[in-house]
Amino acid sequence: MSMSEQQTLRQQVTLIELVDRVLNKGVVVSGDITLSVAGVDLVYVGLRVLLSSVATLEEPRERISATGATP
Amino acid sequence: MTTPAATAPLRRDGLGWYLYGVAAADEASARLGAGLAAGTVQGIDLVAEGPLVGVTSRVSLQEFAEPALPERLRDTTWLEQMIRTHEQVLERVLEDASVVPCRFCSVYRSEAELRRFLSERREVLQAALDRVRGRVEVGVKAFIDRDRFAAGRARQNEDVRQQETQVSSAEGGRAYLERRRFEQLVASELERFRGEAADRLHTRLLAAAEDGLALPLQAPELSGREEEMVFNGAYLVTADRGAFEQALASLGRDFRDDGVELELTGPWPAYNFVPEELGAE
Repeated sequence: MSMSEQQTLRQQVTLIELVDRVLNKGVVVSGDITLSVAGVDLVYVGLRVLLSSVATLEEPRERISATGATP
Repeated sequence: MTTPAATAPLRRDGLGWYLYGVAAADEASARLGAGLAAGTVQGIDLVAEGPLVGVTSRVSLQEFAEPALPERLRDTTWLEQMIRTHEQVLERVLEDASVVPCRFCSVYRSEAELRRFLSERREVLQAALDRVRGRVEVGVKAFIDRDRFAAGRARQNEDVRQQETQVSSAEGGRAYLERRRFEQLVASELERFRGEAADRLHTRLLAAAEDGLALPLQAPELSGREEEMVFNGAYLVTADRGAFEQALASLGRDFRDDGVELELTGPWPAYNFVPEELGAE
């Protein structure tokens, strides 16, 4: 992996840590807020897309090692 | 007839209040001046209500309210940027003051509603602030290298050692079967070890922290590492972190030969150590 790829990977890993905390933890406020309970589900729709785009970062490396292992 | 606050019309200027977190007024007002900025947020406003301040910034309701918000939340670029911004603002505040983090995208339509929240939930917010005052959250993850485990720690098990002898003396088709049996023994030893390692890590780290909890393990495709995650924990520690980092370094040495590597993240705002729900009004 090149330096910039490593950098990207590290940023993506931090993003996972962040998502775990920012979206799943913290005080749930009350009152007249713009994101309804139904809206929270939508965050997860976006989140799944976001996380799957993070996960694909790993794929090229997997493919290379799989090819390398084949005689 | 008066209009109930909950159905008050949108303000004409179209701006809402994004609430990132709650801090103590005395601490925050003294240390965090006007013109505070973090990441893409130019103006962080501290909205003081009694002994508390809401850490806020003004956001466009066109962006953060229906009908636009559901679409926005599907836009991964926007979502990622907002998640990072949320964290950057809280980290900026955390440099100078303790803060109770709020959930992502907590946006009030009016200042009055924001103030009502701070005033009605004052006691429970203050209790949450007291708990995190002078403390930060850190994350600890442990990963295991299967090959190193098989070559080292797994051999402490007598069955594994005996089977290894069987493998080296077997020939032909039997060698394959003996090897399979060896791999199965290593795998079951690893399964046993995972639980034991997680227990030992959590017990020792908890003793060096103010509080802590074991979190669900992350899937390998998300952890960014090829090794398997065997432990994921969050700890509330004093801001200097001295005792905790010492305990972590000592555990790192203890576990190295077992093929286990520890990873520290943070300091984070204490996301995992504030109440999710603030209870009934």
